Amino acid sequence: MILKYMTVIEIDGLRKGYRGGTAVDGVSLRVGRGEIFGIAGPNGAGKTTVVECASGLRRPDGGTVRVLGLDPQTDRRWLLQRVGAQLQEAALPDAITVGEALRMYASFYDDPADWRALMDQWGLTERRRTGFGKLSGGWKQRLFIALALVGRPEVVFLDELTTSLDPSARRTTWGLIRDIRERGVTVVLVTHFMDEAEALCDRLAIMDRGRVVATGTPAGLIAEGRCRSLDEAYFALITENEG
Amino acid sequence: MTHMKGLTQVVAVELKLVLREPMSAFFALAFPAVMLWVKMRSDRPLPGGVRAIDATVPMLGVFIIGLTALTVLPATLAQYRERRVLKRLRATPASPVMLFGAQWAAHMLLAASGTALLIVIGLAGYRLAAPGNPAGVLLAWALGALSLGSVGLLIGALVPSGRAATVIGLGLFFPMAFLSGAVIPRENLSGSMRAIGDLTPMAPAVQALREGWAGVAMSPAALGVMAAISVVAGGLALRAFRW
Repeated sequence: MILKYMTVIEIDGLRKGYRGGTAVDGVSLRVGRGEIFGIAGPNGAGKTTVVECASGLRRPDGGTVRVLGLDPQTDRRWLLQRVGAQLQEAALPDAITVGEALRMYASFYDDPADWRALMDQWGLTERRRTGFGKLSGGWKQRLFIALALVGRPEVVFLDELTTSLDPSARRTTWGLIRDIRERGVTVVLVTHFMDEAEALCDRLAIMDRGRVVATGTPAGLIAEGRCRSLDEAYFALITENEG
Repeated sequence: MTHMKGLTQVVAVELKLVLREPMSAFFALAFPAVMLWVKMRSDRPLPGGVRAIDATVPMLGVFIIGLTALTVLPATLAQYRERRVLKRLRATPASPVMLFGAQWAAHMLLAASGTALLIVIGLAGYRLAAPGNPAGVLLAWALGALSLGSVGLLIGALVPSGRAATVIGLGLFFPMAFLSGAVIPRENLSGSMRAIGDLTPMAPAVQALREGWAGVAMSPAALGVMAAISVVAGGLALRAFRW
């Protein structure tokens, strides 16, 4: 009972196909409140599709998805008030400034965070008058994190947040992600990097070819595969699955 | 309440963004002012005795609405789709109605300032007569902005890219502007040109705005056609809208 109460994301038998074929083929996941939950896997494994179905951006072909007890399709309006997302490839107009973006996004929510305080917390105040198009990759990601948090979400989806960042900006971003969890927000983190998953995630699911091939804590996955690192465990799992 | 607050926020930001784009400011403000100057180099009265300035200011008022609504507005929307600005918005509680409303309001505020500039120039330099029916002028302007704005939103909902939006928008706008009497007074158009022009959505706006300015009885058909275009094109735009 306690476990069920604490579960904020429940995905069962999720399927989603595209013209080209199947992107997600029977994925089931549980994410608990307050966790940093990782989704890792090679390109085309279906990670982004799972996140897009959970955040209401795509309609599943089959299976059930519940986030905070809500169906992302039918209860979209209510759900979007309570989740935040940083999406792959999404952008803002080049001319919008950091301050304008935060203020405008705050206005979409019934009970938003104080956008000025958020801007301060994420170190964006000195760049408040800078246009989005003039921000470096690291600053753009910082702004995207702040925008994902401006509605005071209970769950945030971060999709390949650090892929385009240099190593030091990645390390900084890890600190930011831990800060989000400190505030009691559940984080779903899609990542390519095993060092990132090992450093940040309480639990993770490893996906390949539209399926979950393993779920567990980083330490658990390493132990199960009798490996020395998560990287090694990951490659063993993917190789076995594709073997 | 939240939605109204959100709407004014987005309108304010979108208006700033439009004004930071030098081309749109040029199209809405400078270009029509230059056209007024060019057209008023000979200010012979029109056939029928109307003074040239009293016809030209309302005509160019519709010209500005058409240019912003049919070319600038769809290009903005299509560019937002292309750059995935809309994708990011989709993960927030912002709705398409709100997005359309904000885009329409921001662009029509731009058009209103262009028209205000023409009126000031007309009063200062060409002894423009005061409108005979100010309420009628406002009604005609508002219906013109609604009907052409809805057509612009429909184009913006359908076209794949910002470049395509500009090409299609200009391709629709210029023939319409010339045939509907927004550039050449209706009195000077041949019967067949006027007959073709009357089929375009700019013709009732030109007719109603000129009638309002002259203070003569306003054609209920012109007002009714504009209301009908607003409902039909606006409804189609919402149905066709893709993030």
